[in-house]
Amino acid sequence: MNIFLRELRANIKSLLIWSFIVIVFNLVGFLKFSAYYNNPQMLAILDSLPPAMLSAFSMSAFNLTTVAGFYGIMATYFGLILSIAAAMWGSGVISKEERDKTVEFSLTLPVTRARLITAKTAAMVVDCLILLLITWGITLVSAQQYHPDGEFYRFVTIGMLAFLIEQMIFLALGIFLGCAVKKHKQAGSIAVWLLLGTYFLSILVGLNKDLDFLKYLTPFKYFDAAQLLHESRLEMPFVLLSVAIIAACMAAAYASYAKRDLYI
Amino acid sequence: MNIYLHEFKTKLRSVLIWSASIATLLFVFISIYSGFAKQSALLQQAMANFPRELLIAFGMENMDWSNVLGYFALVFLFCQICLAIQAANYGFGLVSIEESEWTADFLLAKPISRAKIMTSKVLAALTGLTITNIVVWVSSFICLAAFASGQDYPVNSLVVLLLSIIVFQLVFLSVGMVISLLVRRVRSVTPFSMGLVFGLYLLNAFGGMIGQTSLEIVSPFKHFDPYYIIKHTAWDLPLVLISVTVIVISVAASYLLYARRNIPSAV
Repeated sequence: MNIFLRELRANIKSLLIWSFIVIVFNLVGFLKFSAYYNNPQMLAILDSLPPAMLSAFSMSAFNLTTVAGFYGIMATYFGLILSIAAAMWGSGVISKEERDKTVEFSLTLPVTRARLITAKTAAMVVDCLILLLITWGITLVSAQQYHPDGEFYRFVTIGMLAFLIEQMIFLALGIFLGCAVKKHKQAGSIAVWLLLGTYFLSILVGLNKDLDFLKYLTPFKYFDAAQLLHESRLEMPFVLLSVAIIAACMAAAYASYAKRDLYI
Repeated sequence: MNIYLHEFKTKLRSVLIWSASIATLLFVFISIYSGFAKQSALLQQAMANFPRELLIAFGMENMDWSNVLGYFALVFLFCQICLAIQAANYGFGLVSIEESEWTADFLLAKPISRAKIMTSKVLAALTGLTITNIVVWVSSFICLAAFASGQDYPVNSLVVLLLSIIVFQLVFLSVGMVISLLVRRVRSVTPFSMGLVFGLYLLNAFGGMIGQTSLEIVSPFKHFDPYYIIKHTAWDLPLVLISVTVIVISVAASYLLYARRNIPSAV
């Protein structure tokens, strides 16, 4: 419990910075939306654009003149921000002990290594949830001025669930890297590579229909915002795949950290 | 000279990895161009029918899909993200790494001024960035020759676009440097550079899509918008000047700050 509280306190500054970023993007986004709100001309233009073009800018299948459609576009970017935060936190929370030379101290505490990871993971999960709730709250507040309907609320709720899964995937990946990568400095940079790689891959898949099979490799494609909007349900195979990835990463993290050589 | 060589050697591996990754990125994206070519012809037609104000509102007034460079501009944006992260990493780590690894007191005890240390380090980072820059030039030309299916494209525009890389890298290098000197301690470089680069990228992505310009005017991704450069075969000069000013101020401030910085030591 002490470790859990200690980690929460240590991460407050980072949490505040990420919350600030999320809030700024939300405000900028909804400010821009005022140009689209109930503007039929915009819709006519969007209809005449070819699909690959739209998906390259993640604008396909949304009616931009409604607040739900507009939020569909922003959802991709919010997913990206929340995933970056989760990956940074996950890879940092374990590896920072070796970086700051405090690892001998924490491992001489009378707790097992497994409990150490559990406490640290729990603290980061809580931070991810707080960031998600802040995103949720500010979205609902900003949307109020555009009189959102039931469709919007359903979409935001299910969208948040999708964000949560993305966050947990990248958090688990980060924690796994922090536990398993030999050089503690590399944990963070490998996490960055994974983020960039999967983000670019998700764009690549959008550009070309023939590459559709690659979407299993990038969590950014597991939950398509357009589908969330129109069918308001998560696709079961991808939920299971996500859970499997998270479970595998955490299991590997516990297993590798139990045997880890410390570099001090 | 010793510091320069030492710095360069420690960076070499990272430079090679970044260069190889960016070259791969260009290769993969440009290799699927032929599937996109038909769509881009449709798009060009569709855009010809739009009123200009609406194209501006969509941030699309600069897009030109009549040849392969329109697609290349799209790809180049992702290239820019990578280049920016690399440059920001080097900038944030440049002098802060000595403090986080407790080697700063050793380095500063050498019989050379702090300004000279700084200059050597900046030059070493710049050499690394230039190697990456050259790799991007070479792989761009090769990929376009290989996958553009024999199409002609205005080489001038491409050259002007690729020339912008060096200024773009300098912005992130110098901003990273000055921020690392403004804060008390940089524990780890990655969160800083990710925050800076993705913050500015998303700001521009949000802004470019909809409505009139506002906050995104501060983003180098806006200053070096590949679509604008390709269409006009020129840089958006007033905006580029913002970038240049940022570079000059950051570099000057970095030298001043480093000259009077308190250095923590291990003992």
